[in-house]
Amino acid sequence: VLRPDSTIAAARLYAEQPGEAAMKLFYSQDVFRFTDDDAPRHEWQCGVELIGERGVMADVELILLALEVLETVLDERPQVRVSHAALARTVLAAAGLAAEEQAAAYDRLLDGDLSVIAEIEARLPQLNSPLHLLFDVEGAGSAYIANVGAALGPAIPALAAALSELGEVVQTLERVGVTPVVQAALARSFEYYSGTVFRIDAGGHRVCAGGRYDDLVALVGGSPAPASGFALYLSPIAELLPGGSGVTGPVVVEAVDPMTALEIARELQRRGLTASTVGGSSGRRVVVAQDGGFAVDTRAGRSAAATIDDVVRLLGSGE
Amino acid sequence: MSDTVRIALPTGDLRAQTASFLANADIGVGDYGAGSRALRFELPDINGVARVFREKDIPVQVALGSYDIGICSLSWIEELNQRFPGHEVVRLCALGYGDRELWLATARNGVMGTSPRIVTEYPNIADSLARRLRLPRYRVFGVWGAAENYPPEDADVVLIEASGADAVSASGLSPLAKVLDSSAWLIANRHSLSSRDLSAAIAKLLARGLPALDGGPRLEVPAGLDFGAAKPEVRRSGRLRLALPDGHAQVHTVAALRASGLDISGYDEDSAECRPRLGVEGIDVKVIRPQDMPQQVALGQFDLAVTGRDWLFDHKVQFPASPVEEVVDLRRSRYGLAAIVKGVDADTVAGAVVEWRRRTDRPIRVASEYPNIADHFARERHLGRYSVIPIAGASEGFVPDDAEILIEGIDTGSSVRANNLTVLERFFESTNCVIANTSRPEESLRDVFESIVAKFASGAADLATAASGA
Repeated sequence: VLRPDSTIAAARLYAEQPGEAAMKLFYSQDVFRFTDDDAPRHEWQCGVELIGERGVMADVELILLALEVLETVLDERPQVRVSHAALARTVLAAAGLAAEEQAAAYDRLLDGDLSVIAEIEARLPQLNSPLHLLFDVEGAGSAYIANVGAALGPAIPALAAALSELGEVVQTLERVGVTPVVQAALARSFEYYSGTVFRIDAGGHRVCAGGRYDDLVALVGGSPAPASGFALYLSPIAELLPGGSGVTGPVVVEAVDPMTALEIARELQRRGLTASTVGGSSGRRVVVAQDGGFAVDTRAGRSAAATIDDVVRLLGSGE
Repeated sequence: MSDTVRIALPTGDLRAQTASFLANADIGVGDYGAGSRALRFELPDINGVARVFREKDIPVQVALGSYDIGICSLSWIEELNQRFPGHEVVRLCALGYGDRELWLATARNGVMGTSPRIVTEYPNIADSLARRLRLPRYRVFGVWGAAENYPPEDADVVLIEASGADAVSASGLSPLAKVLDSSAWLIANRHSLSSRDLSAAIAKLLARGLPALDGGPRLEVPAGLDFGAAKPEVRRSGRLRLALPDGHAQVHTVAALRASGLDISGYDEDSAECRPRLGVEGIDVKVIRPQDMPQQVALGQFDLAVTGRDWLFDHKVQFPASPVEEVVDLRRSRYGLAAIVKGVDADTVAGAVVEWRRRTDRPIRVASEYPNIADHFARERHLGRYSVIPIAGASEGFVPDDAEILIEGIDTGSSVRANNLTVLERFFESTNCVIANTSRPEESLRDVFESIVAKFASGAADLATAASGA
C-alpha cells in the first residue's frame, strides 16, 4: 500500500482493539503524496501516536519526546512552534464564514496574505480590530497568550477554552526550559486537528509536525477517543545530521553525454543527495561542462565548481 | 526587563479625552488630565509608568520599543505606516473618541493641476496618495503646521486635518476628498505583545467595552478627482512676499516690526490672520511656521521671512548649498541650543560618551526637534554609533529613558532645572532674523526689498545700541 499518511492507519489499529485504554504507537515507513511542485513525492517518515490520552500533559510529553529525539541527533537547537486548532477556527466561524471559506481564509493566512485580516475584521465590527495581534504577531511564550486573551477574550468568549489549553501547554514547556513560538495559524491541515498543534524547525526546515486529533478515531469507525501524535521528516533531518550534505530536495544533473550525467547523478546519490538526470527544474541543477568542471545552480545563483566535493558544498550553501 | 508597563500618552487635543477614557477604565494618571506640565506619571493601578508626548511622536516611540503601549490618532499611525510599512507597531483597537478626518483640499475655485505642489503635516501620506493617484509629477512639502495658509500662492493642494467638509470650507479652502477617518487608537509594540505580559493593562483598558468599528481603518484613495488641465505656471504678483511666524515667535516679531517702524494689522502678540496687512505698499504678507521658512524662501515662494537662526542653521546643515541666507539679525528671541542629559556623572559630552559606552553597546540616541542639527552635533562631537530621533515636542521628558542626549533650545534654564536636567554644552546662540533667497527679487521689486531690509536693520541696530548703552 502506498500510504500518504500513517496516522489514519494508527487510528484504525486503535479502533480495532476494543477495550484498549491508551495506546502508544511508533512507526517508520515510506509515505507517498501528490505534489504541485518539485517537492519530493516520496518521503521516509517516522512518528509517534498517543491514542486514548487527553490533557495538557499528553501534548507536552509528545512535544518533549520529539524535541529530545531531534536534540539527540542534530547539532542545531530546534525551535518549537505551537498553536491551537480552535484559535483560527473560532475566529473564522465567528466571522460567519462557511466551511470552505474558512479553509480558504486559513490557507491565505498560512501563505502570509495578511489582507485577509481586514476582510475578517470587516465581518466582525464588534471586534474593533485586534486581529493583527492574533494573526500578525508571533508570540514568545505564555505572555503572548495572556495578551491575546485580554484583547480578544471579551469580544469572542469562545476563544477562552483554546487559549486556556494552549496557555497551559506553553507554561508547562516554559517550566522545563522550552520557550515556544506561539502563532495562531500553524498547521496546514485545518480540518484535521482538534486541539494543540506544534511544529519543530531546524536549520530553516520543518523537521517535525504534529498535534491533537480527537475526532479521527470515531471517523474511522472506532469509539470516540482522544489522540495526538507527531511525524518526523527524515529527509531534512538526514541532511542536517552532522556530516550530512546539507542539501535538501532533488538535484537534476545535465550533460551533453547522457551517460556522463547519469554517472555524476549516481555519484551525488552515493553522497546522500536525491539526484536524477530527468525531471523538472527545481532550481537546483548541476551542468557538467565539456572540460569536466561543473556549473551549479541554486537559489543563490550560478557558481562554478571544479570537483564533486565542491558541487555538494555549493548545493548545501545555496539553500 | 522590569514588569513595569510603559505607556505613551498624548498631549494636545486628545489629552482631556484620553484622561477621561483612562479614568473610566479605573486607571489613575495623576493630574495628567488637568493639563499638568509634568511629563511622567506613575500608573499604580496597572504597575505602569506613563510618559506624555506630542501625538506625532507616539507611533515612533512605540515602534522603537521605548514604550509597550500608546494612545494616539490613527492619522499619525498611518503617517508612520506609509513610509515604514514594516514597523513594529500593532494597532489594537479604536477607542471611540477623538474623531477627526484627513482631507485633501485646494484653494477656493483653485485648479489642482496634474503636477500639484502638496503641502501638509503628513508628507508620507501625501506622497502615498499622489503615487496611488498616478499623478505624473507632483511635489510634497512637509511642514510643521499652518498648511491651510499655503494655497493658492504656495500650494495647489493641501492635506489637512479637519472635522469635516464644512470645517475645510470654513478655513477658506475647497474640500476635494476625505482620505482617512481618524480617531484615537490603542497601539502596542510588536515585541512587547509577543514577549511581555501586558494582559492586566490591556484588560483594564478594554474592560468597559469598545465601539464597533464600521469599516476598516484604511487610507482611501479618492476616485474621480478632477485634476483639471495642466495648471499654468504661477505668476508672481509683482509684489514682494514676506512670511511672518506664528506661535511663540509672534511676540518677538511684533516687537521687531514696531522697532523697525513697520505698521501691521491682523498680526499681534496674541493672534494672527493668515494674511496680515503691512503698512508698506507692494508687499504681501503670509503667516506660516518659522520652522518651514528656510525651505520656503530657498524654493522662491517668499522673498523675505522672519524666523529663528536655529531653524536656518537646521536647514543649512542639511542643505549647505541652499540659496537662503540671513540678511538681518533682529537680536530678539534670544536662546541657546544645548546638549542636555540626565543622570550622567560626566560634565562634558566626551565624558558622557565614555560613560554611555561603558553602560551599553547600543547606539547613542540623540533626540531633538532639530534633527539636522542633532545629526551635525553628533558627527562634530564624534559620538560614534548614534541614532537621531526626530521629535515634535514635550522634549524634556526624553532623557534619560528614551534618549541619552537631547538637543534643545534653552532660555533661562528654568525648565532644565525644574526637570533635574544637566546642560553639558551650549553650542549655538539663536536670535530671530530676517532671511532671504541669495538670488534677489526681480528688478521691479528690488527697491521695496532693500527698503524693508533697511528698516529691519535699523530696528535691530537701535536695539543693539540700547543694549550697549545699558
